[in-house]
Amino acid sequence: MSTTIRFGSDGTRVQQPRFRGSLFRHVITGLLLAGLAPGASGIAQQNAVAVPGLAGKHALGAEDVGELLLGELMCHACHAGLATRETSRQQGPDLTDVGARIAPEYLVRYIADPAGTHRGTKMPSVLHAEPAARRQEIATAIAAFLIDRSPHRFATEAIAAEEAAAGETLFHEVGCIVCHSPRRPALPEGKMPSPNRGQVDLSVMRQKYSLESLSDFLYLPSRIRPSGRMPDLGLSKAEARALASALIGVGPDRGSAATPSTERVDEGRRYFVAYRCSSCHALDNVESERPRIVISTSTGGCLSASASDSPRYALDDAQRDALAQSIAAPERTVSDEQQIDWTLTAFNCFGCHERGQSGGVSPELDPYFTTSEPELGDEARLPPPLTGVGAKLRGDWLREVVFGSGSVRHYMHTRMPRFEEAALGSLPERLGRVDDIEDFPMPIPEGKEANRLRDGGRELLGKPGLSCISCHDFNGKPSAGFAGIDLVDTAERLEPTWFARFLLKPQSFRRGTVMPEYWPGGVAVQPDILEGETEAQIQALWNYLAQGRTARDPVGIRGEPSVLTVTDTVSTYRGRSRIAGFRGIAVGHPGGVNFAFDAQNGSLAAIWLGEFVSVNWSSQGAGDFNPRSRPIELARDVAFVRLESPDAPWPLRPQTSKEKPVNPDPIYPRQHGYRFEGYAFGEGNVPTLRYRSGAVRIEDRCEADPSSDPPRLIRHLRFVSPEADALTFRLLAGAIEARSKSVSEVSGLRLRVPDVPTRLRRSSESEAELLLELALPAGELLLRIDYEILR
Amino acid sequence: MKSCADLVLRCTLGALLLSATAATQDLGSRWGTAEREREYYRVVKLPTPEGAVIEAGAFEVLPDGRIAVGTRRGDIYLLSGVDEAKPDPSYDLFASGLDEIFGIAHRDGALYVTQSCELTRITDQDGDGRADRFKTISDAWGYENYHEYAFGSKFDPAGNLYVALGLSESYHSRALFRGWVLQVTPEGETIPYASGLRSPAGIGPNEHGSLFCIESQGPWNSSCSLKAVRRGGFLGHPVSFNWYRFAPSMGAAPQQPESGSRVLREVERIPELVPYAVIFPYIRMGRSISGFTVDRTGGSFGPFENQMFLGDFTLSLIMRATTEQVKGVWQGACYPFREGLSTGILNVAFTPGGNLVCGGTNRGWPVRGRLPFALERLEWTGEMPFEILRVSIRQDGFDVEFTQPVDAKTGRDLNSYRLGTFTHIYHAGYGGPEVDQTIPEVKAVRLSADRRTATIVLDELIRGHVYELDLGALRSKGGGPLLHQHAYYTVNEIPD
Repeated sequence: MSTTIRFGSDGTRVQQPRFRGSLFRHVITGLLLAGLAPGASGIAQQNAVAVPGLAGKHALGAEDVGELLLGELMCHACHAGLATRETSRQQGPDLTDVGARIAPEYLVRYIADPAGTHRGTKMPSVLHAEPAARRQEIATAIAAFLIDRSPHRFATEAIAAEEAAAGETLFHEVGCIVCHSPRRPALPEGKMPSPNRGQVDLSVMRQKYSLESLSDFLYLPSRIRPSGRMPDLGLSKAEARALASALIGVGPDRGSAATPSTERVDEGRRYFVAYRCSSCHALDNVESERPRIVISTSTGGCLSASASDSPRYALDDAQRDALAQSIAAPERTVSDEQQIDWTLTAFNCFGCHERGQSGGVSPELDPYFTTSEPELGDEARLPPPLTGVGAKLRGDWLREVVFGSGSVRHYMHTRMPRFEEAALGSLPERLGRVDDIEDFPMPIPEGKEANRLRDGGRELLGKPGLSCISCHDFNGKPSAGFAGIDLVDTAERLEPTWFARFLLKPQSFRRGTVMPEYWPGGVAVQPDILEGETEAQIQALWNYLAQGRTARDPVGIRGEPSVLTVTDTVSTYRGRSRIAGFRGIAVGHPGGVNFAFDAQNGSLAAIWLGEFVSVNWSSQGAGDFNPRSRPIELARDVAFVRLESPDAPWPLRPQTSKEKPVNPDPIYPRQHGYRFEGYAFGEGNVPTLRYRSGAVRIEDRCEADPSSDPPRLIRHLRFVSPEADALTFRLLAGAIEARSKSVSEVSGLRLRVPDVPTRLRRSSESEAELLLELALPAGELLLRIDYEILR
Repeated sequence: MKSCADLVLRCTLGALLLSATAATQDLGSRWGTAEREREYYRVVKLPTPEGAVIEAGAFEVLPDGRIAVGTRRGDIYLLSGVDEAKPDPSYDLFASGLDEIFGIAHRDGALYVTQSCELTRITDQDGDGRADRFKTISDAWGYENYHEYAFGSKFDPAGNLYVALGLSESYHSRALFRGWVLQVTPEGETIPYASGLRSPAGIGPNEHGSLFCIESQGPWNSSCSLKAVRRGGFLGHPVSFNWYRFAPSMGAAPQQPESGSRVLREVERIPELVPYAVIFPYIRMGRSISGFTVDRTGGSFGPFENQMFLGDFTLSLIMRATTEQVKGVWQGACYPFREGLSTGILNVAFTPGGNLVCGGTNRGWPVRGRLPFALERLEWTGEMPFEILRVSIRQDGFDVEFTQPVDAKTGRDLNSYRLGTFTHIYHAGYGGPEVDQTIPEVKAVRLSADRRTATIVLDELIRGHVYELDLGALRSKGGGPLLHQHAYYTVNEIPD
């Protein structure tokens, strides 16, 4: 037995595995059987630890690779004296509820033989020295212990084919294939990419997970794996479930797992402690003292293919060599650039992004990267390069992109994952420190000069100008051409110098970009704006964009008006409007008969046919509504009054003017007994408007009859009066033409009124009021009025 | 008293720095603390359903734990799952077609919703999850002009609701009770309650249960402020005096204040005038402060239990405030809390899980946050920030409480406590400069036994001044600097 690890030489207390005094016996036995232990000789290369970033295009030398592997394998969990790098701050998966997350059979198999069960796993075998039967026994006990202390139990659920199909699409679109092998060709007739040893194997998902546990993991990976190698792809719950369905796959029912025996729980706990599982795995109230073993050799111990008393990692020769080189190397200080390289490799940022000579989407995976805006070229589907990104993005935006949900490329199907701050917190800062760009003067002037530049910028951005808005949205308003990045928050995201340098030479930042060069050789192609001065034009664009959302829209871009449409039920909308006052209510019936009610005064204010309303939700718009076609407008004065005498003038609503803007009669029409009391939806969401005139309650409901000729609105009024009462109802005012006792017309509207005392009261030669004298009994009175819409 | 030249110099430097760093919208510089704030309070985005525009203007937590969100577009959504580790809430559209919602209160299964046009009791009578009955509770105010917003409170213990009404076009009072606070009783009666608002943006109780509202900078308001709403009170802007004749219970209109004076000087003449309780120095502490709430989370939001949290629309940030009553007058302090939210904040609320949900829009006015609308959750990471917990007044200075014990050396060093003061001109002009600056002398500092409170003795306290504390040199017991080194205390009265 060649001992390659010295215990406790650094003076720290070391707890050696001690268990029933038999562990060492088994170790010895294991030694004798070393040749038979899993992977003991000539580790099967295809089982070797998978680190996706190391299989890609990175710039690390063997020593750096070793340093990175020390972190990935969590060597620090047991070993003292290793420099703690950012990329080393790892923890193993949280085992708190592992009994609910992972199928019991799988758990046993995996503990007994990690790499043999899950190809590429980073978990070492701690039982490799035990004979197979004993391995199984210990693994079963540990599993029983873990399952016993899990609050929930593992249960499978049927996979829906439809969800699985949606999940397959997500898998190949959002970016999973960068670290995991694609499951189908990018194109229907295409070839499968060749397998890549760096990719993390997903073939065990069906044996390992339940739909629920895998969905939960995909939804929020950091809850289980806090180190963030598996990042959060911003999946919604439904997406996570779909993706999990795809990974587990449709198949025969796997049945519910048998509840494991609890007999061996205590034993399992002791094994868990003895084998120091908690060095890597957080588990409440289970701590085995972390050994602090100083590495004294770069070939033995965990790196040995035959040592039996250390955990055995599935390493290939190159990995072993790299680790050995790194361990043997003298301690060194790490530059920002080096740490950036490690981080971008460890988290496989290079799988999607180029930075300098490193990284970028591999040619085989390239066809999997797609976009909804193919006309914008490759940059619409391939994640942007990180070359110089620290000089490109403002620090707070860069943090938002890496740790938050900052994203502007809505057309790109691949998603930028959200990483854990604890895992790579200093990356943005380091990028900011090392990346630099040639200076460009970018003054922020004030007063007239500011206005000159902003106006110039607005002109350049719009049409004709440089017509940036042909390919870029602006302030949420769509470009007439391609839906390129919305420019409105440019200054919130970008550094001004980078912006200027990018405009001057877009191709030098992104080969093949569709972004045109408007200042070739430093000469402006647009000679008329700001006298064609290159510097002034670029400064102008920046100064204009720096206004953010307060910037006036560039010429040529137009917001779509918000249109409310009526579908199969009635739509009721409250808002101010020219036709119904500030307390307006618009009501649209299916079939295109619409009206507006002025709830301030209690009057039917307008009727129109066709589409319902557009509403103003742009800028400060309070949602004011406008009919989509020309309405028939009616008088908006209070409609029900107790007139003092038959000749008493009708109380008209107060008018204000520019000269006299203050409401001269602010309690109108309350002093005439009117109160609005709201509305209730009935069948088909038809609103019944409720109001009062004194003690009389009025319910006002309109039905539409769009198919009659002419189309009509049928108004049902219900009066409920505690005692006999009399009300005058001013049904119409204006240029009324009485066709008969019961039929009157006014501006395109024909009214049929019921048989109640009615009089037409002339207010001028051309104007009149149609007054209905309502004698209300104690109790209820019903009235129906038909509004026939003639135009 | 020292000369105020030092402060003037600091202010000038501040202004220079500001113009150099204000790269974008002239919104004013950031606090610059966002990166450190993240360690203690995380901003977590609440995804919204595709296609839905949710410009939150009001929140209410329902008895079943769902959160009702009322929007500028007039929708009410009921949200479940807001407190989940990674939230993906479900949104049930409860009502739509309403008119700019800035208040929701729940009682007995009904939502009392303040829209611009009225206060409405909204219920679902047939139990299908969609509102079907909209009963007008009060519309006893004029609504006839641009910028006439209405903000509604929650119920007070007696069952009253309060509505704060902005002026017409933000300058005038052209329709009934614009610029007033109205009380709506459980019986549905509407009672004029106080006059003199300009452009309120939130109304509700302070941490002691007394009614407050937030006011925006403008005429007669040199800065945003928290105002105590006293029955019969006049809250500072006299343009709405024309409605006293419609409010007999309020008595005669107060005397006109004199433009160019100081608030406390006018209080001597005008007993109805309520001094502004907490002044938020303009830009340093918000530019258009909006909805506020009180932390009653029992500590799950960190150390600020029983303090007020306020959002700011323009700067997309959250601030804190504490108040106390001295000689019957409300006053208190405000503190920076968290910047870097994604949109203009219109309102905030604590969730059942003890997180602060913040929402709003950046539509219509300049806003730092880049998203057209957003719902976000502020959550405490569990790490204890080193913060000024509370500033309260003493007869000869202030007690400054901290969230962690302070380091003995810097804590006892008089130079760790830099103070400046100013007041505002009380005038009809829009906004106003900080004037009458002084630099008070710190004569003594005492630390409490647990070193969590520093008692500062000053040479003089001046009524009507805002005391700006800068404790940048102070260190915690662990050696770290304050997360936010500033606090601003408005002195209206001095205890005996």
